[in-house]
Amino acid sequence: MNGAYAYLVARSLRNRLTRQVARLRSPRYLLALLLGLAYLSLIVGQQHSAPTPPSAETSRWAELLLAVGVMLAVTWAWVIGSERRALAFSPAEVTFLFAGPVPRRELIRFKLLVSQTVVLFNVALWTFLLSRERLGVSAWVRALSLWTLLTTLSLHRLGASFVRTSLLEHGRHGARRRVVSLAIGVGVALTLVWAVADALPELRTSWAVGLRAWLAALGEAADGPIAGVALAPFRLAVRPLVARSGDEWLRAIGPATLLLVAHFVWVLRADAAFEESAAEFAFARARARAGRPQPAPAVSRLRLPTPRLAPTGRPATAIAWKNTVAALRSPRTRLVLTVYTGGALIAGWLATLDDPAPAEALGWLVTMWTGFLLVAGPQWIRNDLRGDLLKLDLLRSYPLRGASLVAAETASSALILTGLQLGLLVIGWLAFLVDPVDLPGLPGRTALLALALVLLPAVNGLGMLLHNGAALLLPGWTHIGTGRPGGVEALGQNMLVLIGFAALLAVVLIPPAGAGAGIYLLLERPLGYYAAVPAAAALLGLAAVEGMVMVRWLGRVLERLDPSTTAAQA
Amino acid sequence: MIEVDGLEKAYGDLTAVQGLSFQVRPGEVVGLVGPNGAGKTTTLRCLAGITIPTAGRIRIAGHDLAAEPVAAKQVLAFIPDEPHLFEYLTVEEHLRFVGRLYGVADAPERIPRMLAELELDGKRRALPGELSRGMRQKLAIACGLLHDPAVLLFDEPLTGLDPVSIRRMKATIVARASDGAAVLLSSHLLHLVEEICTRLLVLQRGQAVAFGTMAEIVAARPTLAGRPLEDVFLELIGQEGGGDR
Repeated sequence: MNGAYAYLVARSLRNRLTRQVARLRSPRYLLALLLGLAYLSLIVGQQHSAPTPPSAETSRWAELLLAVGVMLAVTWAWVIGSERRALAFSPAEVTFLFAGPVPRRELIRFKLLVSQTVVLFNVALWTFLLSRERLGVSAWVRALSLWTLLTTLSLHRLGASFVRTSLLEHGRHGARRRVVSLAIGVGVALTLVWAVADALPELRTSWAVGLRAWLAALGEAADGPIAGVALAPFRLAVRPLVARSGDEWLRAIGPATLLLVAHFVWVLRADAAFEESAAEFAFARARARAGRPQPAPAVSRLRLPTPRLAPTGRPATAIAWKNTVAALRSPRTRLVLTVYTGGALIAGWLATLDDPAPAEALGWLVTMWTGFLLVAGPQWIRNDLRGDLLKLDLLRSYPLRGASLVAAETASSALILTGLQLGLLVIGWLAFLVDPVDLPGLPGRTALLALALVLLPAVNGLGMLLHNGAALLLPGWTHIGTGRPGGVEALGQNMLVLIGFAALLAVVLIPPAGAGAGIYLLLERPLGYYAAVPAAAALLGLAAVEGMVMVRWLGRVLERLDPSTTAAQA
Repeated sequence: MIEVDGLEKAYGDLTAVQGLSFQVRPGEVVGLVGPNGAGKTTTLRCLAGITIPTAGRIRIAGHDLAAEPVAAKQVLAFIPDEPHLFEYLTVEEHLRFVGRLYGVADAPERIPRMLAELELDGKRRALPGELSRGMRQKLAIACGLLHDPAVLLFDEPLTGLDPVSIRRMKATIVARASDGAAVLLSSHLLHLVEEICTRLLVLQRGQAVAFGTMAEIVAARPTLAGRPLEDVFLELIGQEGGGDR
């Protein structure tokens, strides 16, 4: 590795840390740090150390679950991963390094060195979080196993991004150059499909017997020849983490290291597509940060109709309209619409089958995913102030009060999230047409869907306000921009944010939910199910009051925010 | 009308602008000049309501910017040196968006005229990423002019424009002033300032070192009589002789 690169990474890291620590002079950041530390201590403190190491059975299931989790993360990287984010070089890096007398492989090594800062941070985080767990041999060995796994995954994401970029940039020629990578990817995918199809009859039979039988069948299917082949690389990667003894760990770490080395070689053999895309992306990002437009963004080829904007009316509506148009034009919208349409068709078809189990399973799956979106959605959908803070100069020049801006920005992303959730609930409603015994009848389910239509915007609005509030109050510690820190290597920090946000949202929702529940219980006897109407009204009313208080406060924060400071912090 | 009284902006220990007072009357084009770091952009950002001044008072068309920010911003336009555009809005949608923000009821009629004036009518459905640097700048200018502002703040308005567009832009600025707008224009292009500005405000280390017409400034410094604007400027900022050029 070129000494200059090591110097650049080390000095940049040191200076960045110094800046972060310097921010603690601000009471706002100091308070956030103290709360964060208390939160981490709470999470670790709640864990109880098991008296003995886990049994072989527990270890086996842990390995399987981790392997499936890693497989899903890898699939995500291939199917909808952001190739551009993985190639994120800063404009200065491109100017100094790309134009310098440096071989391309040196650049990739540099990129890998930089990515190690995220990996090492997350290794430390996970090691700390799992410090009371008995899984694994010791904390140090667990840290080494985690480093091996996260580095392999980081390399895999980078490699996948090269292949995806190559395909996007060079079409068939790119595909020819990447034939080995593509063949491996397609081979693994086909094997997985084959494995699922092979195990499906047994899984369906056992589903009818019960959960225990189904889990046993699942375990057997995972150990079968086809699934065994498909899951083998993922099991190899996670096995050191679940080793129960030093001997087991030594046997597991060798293959895991080989896997890591294979990924390293794969990534180093990247071609020019990497360099071109990296440079292009870096300059686009620089322009965006400087408030300049980016080169032609990827726009969905599906021409969705955009809502009409009347020339007069509330000015803040224009902000919400702008964000909605941006969301409709995002390439991901096409994917989401395709998935939703497919999901609705499949749900409708499953509901016509004699066997209700598959439809019921789909119904519960989408309902649970809707619940998960309540917490994860505000972190993923960032089409609000978090995206627009890079253009704070422009926002501040508009004839709008800070509170109006905050309300419009958060409302647009809350509505998009609500749309996504309602789409899922409609799919669930279709799947539940099989009339599951443990659910209310069709009128009851339809009423619940209508209730969701009323309540979800309020809950999502509060959630978005919390996230936007964090961006306004702590711009130096919050990711500004529509993208978010991604990749499995950043899973630890994302998970912590998710749990912390869920706790905060729960606190915010306690007063309105408590009032709603109280009124329902009070009026249930005289009004029956109709008691839900005044209960929902009370819940919405209190949530609206909370929302207005937050909007006003954040509006004042926005009006006082110095754009030059924010740009530097972002 | 722009009225600035005792404007001051400090960033921690650094004072970017200090004790700045001036007026720009309707129909005037005032050139804001000074070396890098003199406080020109900070002044413009304070006037646009983007940055909050540490001290002083700013009135835009009679509205106190601190007390009535919305009313003041309603009648002003700030056109920065780098065009800030939204990547997913087309050229025409940008104008519709701005029309709604400023409540321009006849925006549907104005937009085609504006697009034609700035030679953007062939690009109405293009996204900013599909435009050249100059066209993006024109779009930012179009967005600023759509609501017919009474006060115009330009920060290096000619950056990225081709010679034909520069000529049109200069004509547009002068025409807006002739229609009664108060224009404050920051630029390093001294020939532009000399050509279209009626008065000059020279800043040095955040303070005004000269304010008035060229004749008034030269009259206060007889040694500068007959010398080109560049020499006058260098003299005013204490770089006479061009030693630092």
